[in-house]
Amino acid sequence: MDPRCQSIRANILKASHSSGHGHIPTSFSIIECLVAVYEVMRHDPKRPDWPERDKFVLSKGHASLGYYGVLSSFGYFLAEDMLTFGGFMSNYGCHADRLKARGVEASTGSLGHGIGIATGMALGSKIHGSKSRVFTLIGDGESNEGTVWEAVMVANNNNLNNLTIIYDHNKSQGRCMPLDKPVERFSSFGCDVEMIDGHDLPALRTALARQSDRVRVIVADSVKGYGCRTLVDNMYEWHRRSPNAEELGKLMEELHAPAV
Amino acid sequence: MRRQFKTTVSDLAINDPRIAVILGDVSVYMFKDFQDRQPERFYNMGICENTLISVAAGMSAAGLRPFVHTIAPFLTERSYEQIKLDLCYNQFPASIVTCGASFDYAWDGSTHHCYTDLAILRLLPHMEVFQPGSRKEVDALIRSRYAAGSATYFRLSDHPHDIETNLEFGKGTLFKQGNAGVTVMTAGPILPNVLEACRDLDVNVVYFHTLKPIDRELVERFSDTRILVVHDAFGLQEAINEVPGLRTWYHGLPDVFCAWYGTVHDIRKKIGLDPAGIRQAVERVIRSN
Repeated sequence: MDPRCQSIRANILKASHSSGHGHIPTSFSIIECLVAVYEVMRHDPKRPDWPERDKFVLSKGHASLGYYGVLSSFGYFLAEDMLTFGGFMSNYGCHADRLKARGVEASTGSLGHGIGIATGMALGSKIHGSKSRVFTLIGDGESNEGTVWEAVMVANNNNLNNLTIIYDHNKSQGRCMPLDKPVERFSSFGCDVEMIDGHDLPALRTALARQSDRVRVIVADSVKGYGCRTLVDNMYEWHRRSPNAEELGKLMEELHAPAV
Repeated sequence: MRRQFKTTVSDLAINDPRIAVILGDVSVYMFKDFQDRQPERFYNMGICENTLISVAAGMSAAGLRPFVHTIAPFLTERSYEQIKLDLCYNQFPASIVTCGASFDYAWDGSTHHCYTDLAILRLLPHMEVFQPGSRKEVDALIRSRYAAGSATYFRLSDHPHDIETNLEFGKGTLFKQGNAGVTVMTAGPILPNVLEACRDLDVNVVYFHTLKPIDRELVERFSDTRILVVHDAFGLQEAINEVPGLRTWYHGLPDVFCAWYGTVHDIRKKIGLDPAGIRQAVERVIRSN
């Protein structure tokens, strides 16, 4: 595992243990994707309002721990700040507030909203004649929401080739309404779709850097809870659970164990 | 009113490159000259009201000042969460402009009737709510508030009045003063019915085009009278009752679906919002002393 991604996951475990909040497995499935996004995007943590920056919107807002972990790793705030996660006066709530957490472009949480906002940002960028790109990450459960598909239609109909949608294909919605054949589905809407191993950082970097003449969709074939065996094997039990001290030790051990 | 909206926005867009128009496949032909002049800022985006609002929020984040326009129930009641979160909570301001509210599309039935929009949008922080009654109010309110920093709701009507009113944002108009200890308060295009109903009654008549923020000062001037709110929607009575201690009555929507067709006038008559029905309601309050 990439050392940065490993360190981010460790910070997430600590923050969840410290606060008693957080969706760890869903955050763990997106770490490589988000690291690749922040490596590819033009952004400046010292100037989060830089007008020419590219933008990222976390549409599946409950993966905020993963988002905060990545933002702190890229210098938007300190990893220690995440220890207040979900606290009354914290700037780092269980769903991010753009007016509180530095670097957050849109406040999300209710599913199926962020992708529409990102679509509007991409359209706004085009209207301004700006080269700014917009990235958004949606979940497979989130894609049960009809508004996801409305936004995909609007983005394609307006030829928003400056928009890249990352679909976190961690298969967590298998117990409810699974979205099978995601490549075919997004392709049928007119998107330029590529399926990538959701934990292959170099491949994600390359895929995210590549621009197209159409709306880009990266289907990130990911593993919910990636990095800790316990989380992978028990993703439903751990969907919204924080580790106690003993469990934290075990998860840290698993996280730092050599890859098999 | 819709034509006035188009004229005002087209005029503003000449000097304000932040203005963009998003339509939900309504009023498209009317905006043809806008589309011809500023095609890069005109989007007949589709029949997807939730996403129209989310996209407007994103465009607002990109520094634009979008106007989103389509039919009232679908853009407000259906898209309430998008307005609440994407525009208001995120503080990405945009203007929502609707047609067909209350019973303007009476003939289309209850699916197209819309009378909760003003009330529910009033509840949201970072939201201003307008029910203009005349073309002049549409023009004045859009010009003064579209770029003021909050999300704004402009509810247009196909049946405007042409009565002169105070056009200032947040201000009501006192039409008539009486000695019966009763004040009739109303808003929007139903004003002519109210004035006709009260023509020879010894009551005060007060009118609003801005429901949020309500003109509290004007309401407070009549706080020692019995207040009858006459409204073809919900929201005005709640706004007036921001002033504590009032004695108010509401004459407007019944607690049943108005499941009739016909015209707006047919439904107003059926629920007592024609001049005769309003007059009876005012007389009841006068007698209730």
